Amino acid sequence: MPTRREFLKSGLALGAAVSLPGWRRLAAAETAAAAAPKPILVAVRDGTRPAMLDAALKALGGLGAFVRPGQTVCLKPNIGWDAPPERGADTHPELVGHLTRLCLAAGAKSVAVFDNTCDQWQRCYENSGIEQAARAAGAQVVNGKDRSLYREVEIPGGVSLKRALVHSLVLDSDVLLNVPVLKHHSGTGMTAAMKNLMGCIWDRGFYHQNNVHQAIADFLLLRKPTLNILDAYHPMVRNGPRGKTVDDVVEMRLLLASTDPVALDAAAARTLGLDPATIAYIRLGAELKLGISDLEAVDVRRVSLA
Amino acid sequence: MRRRGLKFLRVALAAIVFAGLAAAFLDFRGLVPPGWAHRLAALQFVPATLALATGGTALVLVALLAVTLAFGRVYCSVVCPLGILQDLIGRLAAGLGSRRRPMPFARANNWLRYGVLTAVVATILAGGASIAGAYTDPYSNFGRIFSGLFRPVLVAVNNALVAPTGGLKLAGLYRVDPPWPDPAILWPALAVLVLVTILAAWRARIYCNTLCPVGTLLGWVAARGAFRLTLDRGACVKCADCLRTCKAQCIDLRTGAIDASRCVACYNCIDACERHGIAYRWSWGRPAGGPVRPPLPDVGRRAFLAHASWAITAAVGGTNRLLAVTAPIAADGDKASRAICPPGAGGIDRFVERCTACQLCVSACPTHVLQPALAEYGFAGCMKPRLDYTAAFCNFDCQRCAEVCPTGAIARQTLAAKQVTRIGLARLDLESCIVKTKGTDCAACSEHCPTKAVDTVPYGDGLRLPQVTDDLCIGCGACEYACPAVPRKAIKVAGRRSHEVAARRVEEKAKDPRKGGGFPF
Repeated sequence: MPTRREFLKSGLALGAAVSLPGWRRLAAAETAAAAAPKPILVAVRDGTRPAMLDAALKALGGLGAFVRPGQTVCLKPNIGWDAPPERGADTHPELVGHLTRLCLAAGAKSVAVFDNTCDQWQRCYENSGIEQAARAAGAQVVNGKDRSLYREVEIPGGVSLKRALVHSLVLDSDVLLNVPVLKHHSGTGMTAAMKNLMGCIWDRGFYHQNNVHQAIADFLLLRKPTLNILDAYHPMVRNGPRGKTVDDVVEMRLLLASTDPVALDAAAARTLGLDPATIAYIRLGAELKLGISDLEAVDVRRVSLA
Repeated sequence: MRRRGLKFLRVALAAIVFAGLAAAFLDFRGLVPPGWAHRLAALQFVPATLALATGGTALVLVALLAVTLAFGRVYCSVVCPLGILQDLIGRLAAGLGSRRRPMPFARANNWLRYGVLTAVVATILAGGASIAGAYTDPYSNFGRIFSGLFRPVLVAVNNALVAPTGGLKLAGLYRVDPPWPDPAILWPALAVLVLVTILAAWRARIYCNTLCPVGTLLGWVAARGAFRLTLDRGACVKCADCLRTCKAQCIDLRTGAIDASRCVACYNCIDACERHGIAYRWSWGRPAGGPVRPPLPDVGRRAFLAHASWAITAAVGGTNRLLAVTAPIAADGDKASRAICPPGAGGIDRFVERCTACQLCVSACPTHVLQPALAEYGFAGCMKPRLDYTAAFCNFDCQRCAEVCPTGAIARQTLAAKQVTRIGLARLDLESCIVKTKGTDCAACSEHCPTKAVDTVPYGDGLRLPQVTDDLCIGCGACEYACPAVPRKAIKVAGRRSHEVAARRVEEKAKDPRKGGGFPF
């Protein structure tokens, strides 16, 4: 499903093309292809989470570029585990709270937060601190374990994931903000933006049964997040994705943001000292043209708040 | 006004106890935090008695006996939830008109009540506490009815309410689909509910005065009580107003005696008597049964002795036979067991002996991994909780079951100790593992493992294959639950008959993996 922006863009291009004489139409199309803008990846370091988020959004033209007045926003953090914020197993509540406030300030009609958790969901929501922070900021915290809130949809062009039960918030919200946390992952190598979207579907087991990497990439064919914001303040660098103690995290004070989840994950892999080429879902995402895994072809904007 | 005081106090206390315990047992989504409601379970006679064996305080038991010796069976009217339930059923039945005629005085059925008590005590002495204590305990029967039978009904009602409204619109109301046990398990609870309902509708507290061993035992104590409800024969005009409200049919107007062994201290009679003819009176040393000896003075003692002889013999033989025949079957070797019991239970044998199958932990378990067993523990373990990993697993940072257990069957320990308590051991069957069978990454098991007993090792072309380190495994079942392999899971937990202490791997602080620091891209 094309996003609104993609739809407008293609509509404009089509309109321009139709209005031009035949020979110039061809040239115009070529020009458009050549000028296809590089995806922007903003990397911010050495600030608090809210400060780094503010800086990242500023570099991307402000949150208003993604959230328009009256729109409904679905915020999808990683709330997978029953662990306190300092363990780094879930997205930090401070980031979720701050982003919620910014969305509402940008005129969002509503902000809803959910995840289909791995541990018992109420314990995850509560002990991650996200439930409290999101509610305090004005978000609606929605149950991710209520099957009646999921709808079965087709994944257009899905290789492994052809149909899936997807949470209605993901299907119905105007804006989808993907807010993962960066972690080592014993099954897929790492988890960041692409893998976090696994929490949007009901049957996690299906992913595991049917080539988990392909399924992770396939999901993006259904819906690409409006924006991905990666919490890499203190990534979990081993024993992921659950982690055992605070000794599993390393303080890096980083935050990454991009509309391109593949590019974001490629940069995230480097942050964990991994070669993006070794993470299969990043490669598959690039192959499906869901984003760019070659960071040379990405407009990386580095901001240091130190 | 003074006259109404006692009954008002009784009703108020009973309402609090009933509401608290009903809420605790009916809870289906963690709305009742462990606290006073769950602690009411510790006031119950059988759990308090069992708790003595696990180092619990004797204070509760001493207090219960002291109150009974002082004022009669107050326990039966304000503490026992099954007793209060029967009062409610009786009221409902009276309201519906199925019991319009007043109940006359009835003689105590001593053969039956002392027979049951003797059989129960003898069975317990014969080592059959796991059966006799558990399935005759009124509190535990209440728990099985409310948690096993009524809780699913409440869930159905909740889901029916959610369906048309849509969970998104109504914050706080959402659909829940907890895993349910095999309905076959619920037949005994249903049988007790039907029995109690019929008896209560027919003759109010007749169950408490014939079949309930706790009632009989406390009755025996109450009959020797310091203060007993006494009829002032000078005031009595034999109008029978008191008898009409008596739930125990224990006021004999002919002799003017109130049978303290059957009186459940509801104080209805005090309230009903216009002439203020019934009151607590100092009765210490007076013979059991009131001022006038009943026609068969020693029927209780005679019945007791008669029963004791056959009951003890039968119970000793029968129980040993029953326990031997129905002992849980070991899965592989002596150390493994078919069923997995909760951390803090110590082991299967200890657990089955101490647990009364009250279902308080089953209702309180936030993941619903605790499910009543059918025959996994053997006959003596029916409805006692076991960990069922098909639909959930034991949360690493939780020990709610131990927090609420009133008998000490699931002993309280520090969270750190719970986190190294090995209740089972994960067994990997790599031939069923998706990484091998399909040649793709999976590791859902390792992903969920809280101790990293299940980790992954490089395999084939950049894949990661699960591996189990036995020392670190606590058997929480997260791996088994998460394993997506079909038709057979590639990792399963085998229970340990006797719980063990697992190792804890301590690692140094992780190092920054970035090459060069800063932005590594």
